[in-house]
Amino acid sequence: MNKKTAISASSDIILSLKVLAREKEIVRRKLAVTAEKLAVTAKKLAATAREKESVRRKLAATAREKEIVRRKLAITAAQLAATARKLAATAEEKEDVRRKLVVTAAKLATTAEKLAVTAREKEIVRRKLAVTAAKLATTAEKLAVTAAKLAATAAKLAVTAEEKESVRRKLAVTAEEKEVVRRKLVVTAAQLAAVAEEKEGVRRKLVVTAAKLATTAEEKEVVRRKLAAAAEEKESVRRKLVVVAEKLKKSYETLEHKVLQRTKDLEMSRAKEEAILLSIGDGLLVTDEKGNIIIINKRAEELLGVESKDVLGKVFSNAMFLVDEKGKPIPPEKHPARVALMGSATTASGHVYYDMRKDKTKFPMAIMATPVILDGKVIGTIKIFRDITDEREIDKAKTEFVSLASHQLRTPLSAVNWYAEMLLAGDAGEMNEKQKKYLNEVYRSNQRMVELVNALLDVSSLELGTFMIEPKSTDICKLAKDVIGEQKAEITAKKLSFSFLCKKRKVCMLVDPKHLRMVMQNILSNAVKYTPEGGKIIFSISPADKKNILLKVSDTGYGIPKHQQDKIFTKLFRADNVRDKDTNGTGLGLYIVKSIVENSGGKVWFKSSGEEGNKGTVFYVTLPLEGIKKSAKNK
Amino acid sequence: MIKKTAPKGKTILVIEDERPLLEAINTKLEKNGFSVLSARSVEQAFGAKLIKNDLGIMTVHSVEQALMYLETLEQVNAIWLDHHLLGKEDGLYFVKKIKANGGRWKSIPIFVVSNAASPTTIKSYIKSGVSKYYVKSDHRLDEIIADITLFLDHPGKIKKVVSVA
Repeated sequence: MNKKTAISASSDIILSLKVLAREKEIVRRKLAVTAEKLAVTAKKLAATAREKESVRRKLAATAREKEIVRRKLAITAAQLAATARKLAATAEEKEDVRRKLVVTAAKLATTAEKLAVTAREKEIVRRKLAVTAAKLATTAEKLAVTAAKLAATAAKLAVTAEEKESVRRKLAVTAEEKEVVRRKLVVTAAQLAAVAEEKEGVRRKLVVTAAKLATTAEEKEVVRRKLAAAAEEKESVRRKLVVVAEKLKKSYETLEHKVLQRTKDLEMSRAKEEAILLSIGDGLLVTDEKGNIIIINKRAEELLGVESKDVLGKVFSNAMFLVDEKGKPIPPEKHPARVALMGSATTASGHVYYDMRKDKTKFPMAIMATPVILDGKVIGTIKIFRDITDEREIDKAKTEFVSLASHQLRTPLSAVNWYAEMLLAGDAGEMNEKQKKYLNEVYRSNQRMVELVNALLDVSSLELGTFMIEPKSTDICKLAKDVIGEQKAEITAKKLSFSFLCKKRKVCMLVDPKHLRMVMQNILSNAVKYTPEGGKIIFSISPADKKNILLKVSDTGYGIPKHQQDKIFTKLFRADNVRDKDTNGTGLGLYIVKSIVENSGGKVWFKSSGEEGNKGTVFYVTLPLEGIKKSAKNK
Repeated sequence: MIKKTAPKGKTILVIEDERPLLEAINTKLEKNGFSVLSARSVEQAFGAKLIKNDLGIMTVHSVEQALMYLETLEQVNAIWLDHHLLGKEDGLYFVKKIKANGGRWKSIPIFVVSNAASPTTIKSYIKSGVSKYYVKSDHRLDEIIADITLFLDHPGKIKKVVSVA
């Protein structure tokens, strides 16, 4: 039993040991595993530690940066504190200024009150002034009345001034003459005085000699007395001369005084004349000899649209820019002022010019330019001009009326014409000789009326610019022959010797045949009409120069009186010598001729002895060979 | 002076507003052997008063209609025409209508005898194809009638010379 129990006990122990070993093995293994895990953990911890170290380093860096920022902030804070201190100081100063302003405002308020008081006082003064002004206005009216009276007086004075001026001129001339005489007399007096002195010397010597000789010779005494007498006479002459010289001096002084007075008067009247010039109702422009403006009046400023300050002293073309009806500038050499400056007489006022203002508007003007001549030299020009728009319109209306009336007149004229024609032709039965004669008079008078109406219509259409120019190539020699043919009966009846000269058989030109026919008709019929029986007429066509053809009609007729030659182309004008001889004429023919020829670019003129004795007249017409420009003008 | 050869049943239509002138023209034309139709306005010229036959009074409203009637009614050899006429239409209007409507009427010679026309109007007449233009107060009746007679005897022989105011 023991042994068995021992053995069983030992086996139990062994078994327990074995179990223990196993458990130890398990534990060891677990420990191994744990050790491994610990190793891993240790590694992780190491890694973590490294990370923490880097984080710590970063934190340290951040801390340093923060320190820098903190220091900067500290600096900024110090600066802000300084600024705050300064602002505080400024605020105090501003407060000071504000207080001062308040004081100033108070002062200003006081001043304003004072000003208000002053203003009230001024208002009172103003009212008083208004009353005074009213009184002054009344006074002014009275003055105006007085001024009107004075103006009347001034006009009278102007007349007186002119008279005085002529007196002054005469006085000036007389004064000059007197001055010359006076000077001569002074010289003569001086000479005489010298002579007298010399003679006085001689006399004294003679007295001495005489005293010496007195005792010796009576004859010498006689001589001495004679000499003394002569000396006395001379002395009295000398004294008279002295008196004359004195008188001359006085009269010279009086003259001087008078001249001074006259000069004053003249200056006064000159001022007046200038005022008169500037107040003239027409435009007035005065230039010096170079054409520079020296006077321009108010009306001229208005008309030309300029101001005197802009044009005074400048060439007149600055103020006056002349153009023709179509707006084409007038060439300088044809400018009336230029013509006047050239010294020729006053330019005709008949021609119409237009002034183109700066704003491109224009107006028609009548202008008269006159040279100012002093001592035979041109020292300037005077231009007087006015706006003739209204006159031109009235003229046009008149012309239109003539045109209308003439057309209307033609109808009754036609009726008279035709009925007279029928009666004369016996359409209403045969008439006796007396009836025929009377009716012929009616018919002829009516024909004259028709001619007059036709001429009036031509004139009005020329003046209205409705005269159509229709140039065609025309043989002017043939045209002339046609016109001569129409006059043949009259030429034969008056037994006139007539010749027609045209070197070439044919002269073709570009002209309006209707118009050229009228020109030829008028000139030729005048020659026929105004040449007495048995006279001679020559009609010739020849080249005038390279560019123009010349038509020439000469007669041995009554001629044109010298004193009326400048009027011969005027509308409705008839010369005295033909009016006496022939009542049949309109006075329109030559006016029409001139209008047509000049519209065609040609010229017409004449030569006539004009004196009594029937020496005749020659009419000349030139026309451009290149032809006539077509006019587009139309009704 | 006048070669009275033309008439032998020739008819002239005279359109003239002034009664005394119309009478003178008619008388003179009839003296020269023409038959005369007369009118004082364009409307009349185209209208019923022209009719001499027994057709009674007819009124016409259009130029075309008038022309149609005239064509059938009357033989007109020439027309004597004034510019100013009674009514709205003038001679130029008449000429233009006649020429525009053609037919036999287109070839009837027209002689304008007037006082009032301006150069422009005269040109228009010539352009419209009238045979001749006379300024009334510048010509005798027998002159114009001689021209017409000559024209009717020898159509085309007369020159288209215009006598202008």
